[in-house]
Amino acid sequence: MSVLHEGYRTDVLVIGGGIAGLQAALDLADQGLRVTIIEKDSSIGGKMIGLSKVFPTLDCSSCITTPKMAAAAHHPGITIRTMSEVVSVERGGDGFDVRLLEHPRYVDEEDCIGCRLCEYACDSEVPDAFEGGLGSRRAIYVPFTNAIPQLAVLDPTACSVCGKCVTACPTDAVLLDQKEREVDIVAHSIVVATGFETTPIDAKAQYHGAEIANVISPLTMERLLAPHGPYGRVLRPADGKIPDSIAYVQCAGSRDASLGVPYCSRVCCMYAIKQAMLLAGAVPLADITIYYMDIRAFGKGYEEFFQSARAMGVEFIKGKVARIDEGEDRNVVVRFENIDGRGQVEERTHDLVVLSLGMVPAADLTGLLPIGLGSDRFVSVPDPLTRPAHTDVPGIFVTGTAAGPMDIVDSIANAGAAAMATANYLRGMSSPSCAQLVTASEGA
Amino acid sequence: MNERNPGSPEQLGGIEPRARDEEVRIGVYVCHCGGNISDKVEVDEVAEAASKLAGVQSSRSYAFMCSDPGQALIVDDIAEHRLNRVVVASCSPSLHELTFRNAVVRGGVNPFLYEHVNVREQVSWVHASNAEATTKASILVAAAVARVREHEALDPIRLPATPRALVVGGGIAGLRAALDISGWGLDVTLLEKSERLGGRVAELGSLYPTGQNGAEVVGALVREVEASDKITVLKGTEMQSATGFVGNFEIEVAPAGNSTGSSKIEAGAVVMASGFSLYEPAKREFGYGRIPQVITLPDLLERLGDPGDRSDRLIVEGEEIRRVGFIHCVGSRQIEGVNKPKKGGSLNTHCSRVCCSTTLRAANELKEKFPDLSIYDFYRDIRTYGPGQEAIYEQASRNGVVFLRYEPEAPPKVAKAGAGDPTKLLVTVKDGLTWGEEVEVPLDLVVLSVGMEPSDITREVEALKLSRGQDGFLQEVHPKLRPVETAVAGIVLAGTCQSPRDITETCASASAAAIKVAGILTKGHVELEPYVARVDLDRCDGTGACVSECEYDGALALQEVEVGGQQAMRAVINEALCVGCGCCVAVCPTRAIDVNGWTLDQFEAMVDAICEAELSEVQA
Repeated sequence: MSVLHEGYRTDVLVIGGGIAGLQAALDLADQGLRVTIIEKDSSIGGKMIGLSKVFPTLDCSSCITTPKMAAAAHHPGITIRTMSEVVSVERGGDGFDVRLLEHPRYVDEEDCIGCRLCEYACDSEVPDAFEGGLGSRRAIYVPFTNAIPQLAVLDPTACSVCGKCVTACPTDAVLLDQKEREVDIVAHSIVVATGFETTPIDAKAQYHGAEIANVISPLTMERLLAPHGPYGRVLRPADGKIPDSIAYVQCAGSRDASLGVPYCSRVCCMYAIKQAMLLAGAVPLADITIYYMDIRAFGKGYEEFFQSARAMGVEFIKGKVARIDEGEDRNVVVRFENIDGRGQVEERTHDLVVLSLGMVPAADLTGLLPIGLGSDRFVSVPDPLTRPAHTDVPGIFVTGTAAGPMDIVDSIANAGAAAMATANYLRGMSSPSCAQLVTASEGA
Repeated sequence: MNERNPGSPEQLGGIEPRARDEEVRIGVYVCHCGGNISDKVEVDEVAEAASKLAGVQSSRSYAFMCSDPGQALIVDDIAEHRLNRVVVASCSPSLHELTFRNAVVRGGVNPFLYEHVNVREQVSWVHASNAEATTKASILVAAAVARVREHEALDPIRLPATPRALVVGGGIAGLRAALDISGWGLDVTLLEKSERLGGRVAELGSLYPTGQNGAEVVGALVREVEASDKITVLKGTEMQSATGFVGNFEIEVAPAGNSTGSSKIEAGAVVMASGFSLYEPAKREFGYGRIPQVITLPDLLERLGDPGDRSDRLIVEGEEIRRVGFIHCVGSRQIEGVNKPKKGGSLNTHCSRVCCSTTLRAANELKEKFPDLSIYDFYRDIRTYGPGQEAIYEQASRNGVVFLRYEPEAPPKVAKAGAGDPTKLLVTVKDGLTWGEEVEVPLDLVVLSVGMEPSDITREVEALKLSRGQDGFLQEVHPKLRPVETAVAGIVLAGTCQSPRDITETCASASAAAIKVAGILTKGHVELEPYVARVDLDRCDGTGACVSECEYDGALALQEVEVGGQQAMRAVINEALCVGCGCCVAVCPTRAIDVNGWTLDQFEAMVDAICEAELSEVQA
């Protein structure tokens, strides 16, 4: 990984270091282009690095993500900048004049060796967002086992400025007075890969998602299922009980105009089915119920995956959940219309409920990038049929969930498309490294 | 353990002098795979056992060897312990052998001095007992250490690549891929069986989500392709046979349906964009073929797309249609024991992905053209997942389309109505939305939403040695790691030959395939694995036994070469054509042939190591 200097030029600026951004960057750098990835978090890897296993192959997510992260980190054509955000983008003579804001890590990136002595010395503990808030972390910490870069980061909101980390650091890398800084760079093209966030867990008032401890987000369940997760096994957060009955409430943040999310989020059916299968292994005695409107298992091998979940005994109930309340013993009461059961309104009690939250754009790009956005704030793609990665601005491309909900398989294919579109745009523009490529390919 | 001196002349077998003066120093790394392995295998025990093997200087376990810190562990150890061989025990080599080869290269070690042990798919995922899994992992690691000790530094075989791509199929996927590849300055030959470019999109009429006309959308791409001086289009032409390998394929093509007049195309890479077939309903399935008022969705779309038809009434078989029913999942999401298999016994268990939105869009279009129509929709799950698709579903509801939900075990029954009935057809269904009520729906027309299935590309599959998945579609290496590549290097997949998908998704995958092709062909050369046969000319006495055993044309031949100052007939390998299968090794009477990286000495060393490890296990 190289360091950005002011006046830096890059063929492609990839905004976002999740799986889509990484794949696009790798495909572009393999063509000999110079790529810069900027990532707002302290590590690349995006949402995918936090998942346990992924459908429909049940590969462990880390096994797919970490090598791509490492490949990007070691690629001579790729520069990665974490803790960075775009502040402004303007069209300039050579493409785009981009201003970045680098947030302070409070740790010198050159000097830190990732030894974690600062972390061990720190007394201040806060809930660990990476673990869905279930585990805790220190105020200064290496984000997670596979983080890239493996560098400590200090959370100023949790720090008591006791100075123990400064003393503990063997390389004097902790810099409590580090300031944010702005960096101007020139990018010949831009790939927007800003990804998604889940819809807020408290978005639907009737579900009381933020109030009931045993109602959790699917990303929290991913951490519970991850072998290196907060508890190392599946326990319910309120009281540490092993759940005997677990329910999924589908479309808890999608296909619901009242939430401002009228669209389908595409992944929730499949992640719920996948988690149900993993739970069948992790808590073999538990009953698992999925309340759904339509099961949308449309990808390659997905329908077959759904059918095997049915065969394994996962119960699928067609019916929209009307409300969720806390019952006795911190259990969760789900009220729903049982369409398969003569349309009766029924109540069932579960130990643990997962709200299958939908996808909304992670970044509000309004005013930040000169590109059109849809009413749902995803990046607009004016010609989706034959040019699925082109935005309405020449030279700016979009990939992954920045353009709308999609799963990992589709994001990765889409990233290849964004890379191809960008590469062909640059070839037409003949940036310096492209000029070399043109000669190389034509001489071949 | 194998105590043989790796430097002894016997061990070298007289084959090619190699740097044997340096001491063998091995690092062994056992991956936890975040619990995937370590929940079953006592990884620290395996690492501990490996540390006692001859030549092992460093042996450890780590949570995720493939992560950056895991790889850094190897690179740092290479420097610290002066390692010159590395073994990683982790997942399948198809996932991460390359990852670790690259890591050892960063440490300054030849990539072929690396050995990969699969202790996940072959151990932790398949054994119930932790003790047995741990023992097996230790034995496999011991065998790998024995083998890596005998590894030699190898160089990949580098060959020039033909800077041309062959795209098989002139539908929207093939057109998109051809344009993208040619945009990169490479030549493309586009092969199309029919006499017309554009494929099925041209027949679809109005397309979701934009409402553009299919013929216009694909027509724009066809014009671009035909105007390009980089793209050669061969219409009415199909593949006959193929030889070669990545960078150097030679494909024989001939006029479709006529194998005479064939010609050859040289290409460095091949894009399969051969599309899909539509499911043809079985005789009498929902009355199809027996009742003329039962048609398929593509039949309807063709009618709707006809710009000449400006009638304000929908006429089928000479009769005005007032009541239409759509039946979803015909030839998709089939279930064993419920649906009848096709000839050959296969079922279309997959979802065809596009039919829900296409059906509802057709329903809306009908309603807009013929406002008095009554429309009924018989479905299992409505899968309007993509951008703008949920809005199509909403619009259908607002248009008054009546939805009835059926279970796959109780599909709708389509029958001819009685003589006095006002409609031609009567559909009976147990409707889940009205709590399983038996509903009779009189209809004038039934439209079957037929799914996508793999097209008949047996010849291409055999010629290119491609593999198909259980669903019959072409199979990628891995849906996330290498989603457009096939197991045959240099052959990539675009569009619906891989699985059902809509036009947006098809074009995205075609572009993703195109950038892989650009990556292969812009370098001007390809690198092949050096696992090919090699001949010890001093031992070879030119019997030719190997040549008659070899199944790969031109890979192995008897040639006159100079041996010890004299001309003699000896077996000579063509490294570009040899696949390293080892058949020649098995028949050589003088043990003069070996396969690089898989020598007989290595096999013997591995077997010895396994026997010794098992023996010590029994004694313990």
